[in-house]
Amino acid sequence: MNEAIEFTVGFSHGVEWGWPIGVYLLLAGISGGALIVSLALRYYKRQVEETPLLKAASLVSFVTIVFGMVFLVGDLEKPLYFWKILINYNFKSVMSIGVLALCLYIPLTFVLVAVVFEGWIKEHLSATPLSKLFFLFPLLKALRPAVEVLAFVFAIVVCAYTGFLISVLVRFPLLNTAILPALFVVSGLSAGTAFSSLIASFFFKADAHGGDMKTLHTIEWPVMALEMLLLFMLFVSLIVGTSFDKQTAGAFSQGGYSALFWFGVVGIGFGVPLVFNFLLGKKVAHSAFAFYLSGAASVLGVLSLRLFILYAGQTFSA
Amino acid sequence: MEQDEKRRNFLKYLGASSVVVGTIGQGVLAEEQAQTSNESKKPHYGMIFDQNKCVGCTECEVSCHKVNAVPQGQARLYVQNKTDPKTPMEKRYVRVSCQQCEDAPCVNVCPTKACHRDEKTGIVTMNADDCIACKYCIVACPYDVRFINHETKAAENCNFCLNTNFAKKQDPACVQACKYKALVFGDLNDQDSYINQILHVKDAVRMKPTFGTKPSLRYIPVVKVGV
Ligand code: SF4
Ligand code: SF4
Repeated sequence: MNEAIEFTVGFSHGVEWGWPIGVYLLLAGISGGALIVSLALRYYKRQVEETPLLKAASLVSFVTIVFGMVFLVGDLEKPLYFWKILINYNFKSVMSIGVLALCLYIPLTFVLVAVVFEGWIKEHLSATPLSKLFFLFPLLKALRPAVEVLAFVFAIVVCAYTGFLISVLVRFPLLNTAILPALFVVSGLSAGTAFSSLIASFFFKADAHGGDMKTLHTIEWPVMALEMLLLFMLFVSLIVGTSFDKQTAGAFSQGGYSALFWFGVVGIGFGVPLVFNFLLGKKVAHSAFAFYLSGAASVLGVLSLRLFILYAGQTFSA
Repeated sequence: MEQDEKRRNFLKYLGASSVVVGTIGQGVLAEEQAQTSNESKKPHYGMIFDQNKCVGCTECEVSCHKVNAVPQGQARLYVQNKTDPKTPMEKRYVRVSCQQCEDAPCVNVCPTKACHRDEKTGIVTMNADDCIACKYCIVACPYDVRFINHETKAAENCNFCLNTNFAKKQDPACVQACKYKALVFGDLNDQDSYINQILHVKDAVRMKPTFGTKPSLRYIPVVKVGV
């Protein structure tokens, strides 16, 4: 830079928000993405029964977000004080808004799991003290349409907020972009779709190549294309930007993080599903092996994306 | 004759440039005056770092550590040596510390309001008890001048010694410690303050103003004359 006066050192340690936050961002994305896709499909297809996909997605969304909280709180340097965030709110802070959204979203996913698994719960838990709560089911059933709509809305909010959370950080050109929240919603959709289809077919016996799975399989590719497009836009906005932006574009070409991007995000996340579904012939594409492998690759790809954005983002500063 | 013409042009040029510098200064001043009138006498504390006077002795750092009980190996204030290796005899030092932004990202992002603007003084400071050490403020600060204090486990920044010297109606520790008067502290909303008198006569700049956070620290850079 060519200022009259400037300093070039700081008091932080480079990457202050590390991998636990990256994992949290992935889990929040999976949770929101799974719910968005499964509920959208349910509305679109006017389903009334508890499909394997809905069972999987509601369970996935609840479990992943709860694990996400563990990582989020664990990354605080004063984890035992996390309750302070629940009693003090700052409505200018994306983090506060996110916490508020999570306080509504997590119970909603829990209720959704309860109603979707009503049959299973009644069958398996009637001998436990929990059966005393069974009288609540009719009430939950009445509330179900509202719960679904709210869960759908808050799933989008949760996905988007994780993007806004880091896009407000002005010091980092890779993070401080308008594209980031969109990229996080879209990649959340792809990870959520992949993860819940895996669970749906493994645990709930969904036909891996028919019904809902088939529908998901067809929307998977446009979502992936959108993700690539957003990444490309992000890259272009950097190379045509200020000198800091141009420097930051180096994140894609040099150093360990670029390897994470090309190997993890592009190679595993995009490459593996594409190769197994299109290049190796119909037989491979229709195998259970390809189904599970590309699902796992998608999730790994999105994890790599979150980590790349977080680490490379905090490495290149203006 | 020709010589004379040249000289006159040169003088004109000089005049024009000082008008430019003058108007910039005036712009900043007018802005500050406008703020004074509608904010009805609330103070706005600021500080000047004069690069021409700083010799890099780091007395200010030492004093800050002591007064504010900053743990070893950490700092609220650091003096960076920015001497150009090509001209090792022309020493240049820069103060690194919280810029006391008027529009402070750290305050905006803190989810618990632990990092806040002090009601009475308008100084950006901390309530360590409410801090959950999420480090959001640290990544949000454009100047990278915040850190988690190892001992209190709370985020921290230079707050002009708000809880220490300021509470005792004294100048900040660094200002007291500087033997070369490179640091001046005062109320920018008080037109008669010494800090304003200096700003009236010297060209001071804000650090990285493009971040748009309106820092309250002003730097008087070394400007070479006669080259
Ligand atoms: S310089 Fe950083 S710590 Fe200081 S007020 Fe501005 S944003 Fe906050
Ligand atoms: S680290 Fe502390 S002061 Fe900073 S944003 Fe988090 S809670 Fe607020």
